[in-house]
Amino acid sequence: MLPLEHLQTTMARSVLAIEPLVSAKMLTAGKADPLARLRIYQNNTRSSLTAALMAVFPVTVQLIDERFFRYVASEFIRRYPPVEPRLPRYGAGFPRFLKTIDTLSDMPIVAETARLEWAIAEALDTASLPPRSLAEYDNTDLGLSPDILLQPSLRLVVSHWSILSVWMAHQQETAVDESITWTRRPERVALWRSGNYVRLFLLDRASFAFWHSLKHGFGLEHATGRALALDPAFDLVSALVRLFRDRLVTNVRVAANSPSN
Amino acid sequence: MSRAFQSLAIPASAGIGLRSPHIAEMLTRRPSAGWLEVHAENYMGDGAGVEALERLREIYPLSVHSVGLSLGSARGVDSAHLERLRKVCERFQPDLVSEHLAWSVADGAYLNDLLPLRYDEEALAIVARNVETVQDTLKRQVLIENLSAYVAFADSSMTEAEFLAELVARTGCGLLLDVNNVQVSAHNLQYDAKAFIDALPAAAIGEIHLAGHATNHVGADTVLIDDHGSRVPPVVWALYQHAIDRFGPRPTLIEWDTDVPVLDVLLGEAMWADMLTASIMFNRKQAARRKQTAEPRPTPICLSVEGQTTTSMPVLAAFAAARAPRPSISAALHSIEEEYHVAA
Repeated sequence: MLPLEHLQTTMARSVLAIEPLVSAKMLTAGKADPLARLRIYQNNTRSSLTAALMAVFPVTVQLIDERFFRYVASEFIRRYPPVEPRLPRYGAGFPRFLKTIDTLSDMPIVAETARLEWAIAEALDTASLPPRSLAEYDNTDLGLSPDILLQPSLRLVVSHWSILSVWMAHQQETAVDESITWTRRPERVALWRSGNYVRLFLLDRASFAFWHSLKHGFGLEHATGRALALDPAFDLVSALVRLFRDRLVTNVRVAANSPSN
Repeated sequence: MSRAFQSLAIPASAGIGLRSPHIAEMLTRRPSAGWLEVHAENYMGDGAGVEALERLREIYPLSVHSVGLSLGSARGVDSAHLERLRKVCERFQPDLVSEHLAWSVADGAYLNDLLPLRYDEEALAIVARNVETVQDTLKRQVLIENLSAYVAFADSSMTEAEFLAELVARTGCGLLLDVNNVQVSAHNLQYDAKAFIDALPAAAIGEIHLAGHATNHVGADTVLIDDHGSRVPPVVWALYQHAIDRFGPRPTLIEWDTDVPVLDVLLGEAMWADMLTASIMFNRKQAARRKQTAEPRPTPICLSVEGQTTTSMPVLAAFAAARAPRPSISAALHSIEEEYHVAA
């Protein structure tokens, strides 16, 4: 008789693979064939995890057709099963896995769109903090280069492909314009959670660099410098007003290395 | 830091499993739903659902049902996941916490399904240790749910019911009796569903689950699939009646996870569970009273007790009372209410 740990390892491999590794002699199922019953667990695992992936990557499903998505998802699940029970965290590696599928090698936009969808899923599972307003800092000396903290759900995605256009085109039931689908055009997307929804915007290069620097805690001075390097006409005041208007600012504080500190 | 919620005890009546399509309606309508149960793993992040549940927790008693602890894993419980469950309990302060007698993690993979154990001394020692770890971490009793199974292990040395009874004795855990799971497993593995229920320690039953299942025909094999995707079928209601007969009223949950219908369907199923329970208890009291009283005194039907207006008379119980020639409804109603409070 196998020790329990060995038995469970064998069962788990049988459930994830198609081939049963468990001996039929170990199992009973009334008058039924135990190995046929084992397939119920295989189906349950594969179909529930496929459903979880389809919920996270609905546009990707549309891009490659549901039947092909199910096939790819099934391979992904077999090779990279979840390592923990929080299913909202399952699928981080799926966009990269799509890039390894030969059939999709001439359709890089599929994996890129999946990357955008994963960022959306992450944002939806992240806290939304109370936003701060500009007026709150009217009488506060924040030094020359304060740190601006943004919503933790903010995700910034840059792609060589028109991922937001593709994503937007698949939000409605109407037929998708193929010229939008296959445009090779860089897009920089900012997205964050707002209540039950995610807001998505296209950013220009300078704004993207500005937001990216702030998100990673480099402070206002560094962020402004990077934006101006990319676009000398970058308007800092407008950029700040926009951050507050979009309820993205969760705190403004004196930078740790500020001269006024 | 977690906020402080008012303590809301789960009553010995029916509640519903909270599913995401119903959250907005629950918040706006605030229907009479008894109590709510959520899957712990859906509330371990920081999404909008978490914020909504905090608002619902202010209104409804809450049960947290975990599906990912893998209490049957020979390698033990994942401490990181247990810590996440502890934080969920700290955040929402549920009245009940439950998990399954199953395993779902092995070989570094989470299978997202609940697999059966080989019921023997080795497994019992492992599960008892894991349950104790969970109870020590959460600083509370947890309820352990029986499993729906499609296979069993030839080398098991005890039944699932015997295993659960021994687990209760060793760890002091409670039990969550999933009546649909009993029906599914009993059919699939060919044992007596009522005998399974009768073998459980009555005092340990802290909650009951009800759900629907699918019937699949594969060749000559008719297998019941625990899909939680339909109304509670008559055979499960009959088994529930048997359980209530034996255990008395218990917090009872309507579970529905696939093809989730409109909220009112779940509320209707919950109402039916309440009416069935009340009817059983009412009939039981009537029978006991008939036995005690050789010549019962006729008493006029009256729905008010000592001048207080009582409107909680369930419809089925009222029908039963109207049909029965005697005895007094007011006395019997009082007894029903007593039963509910004791069990709660």
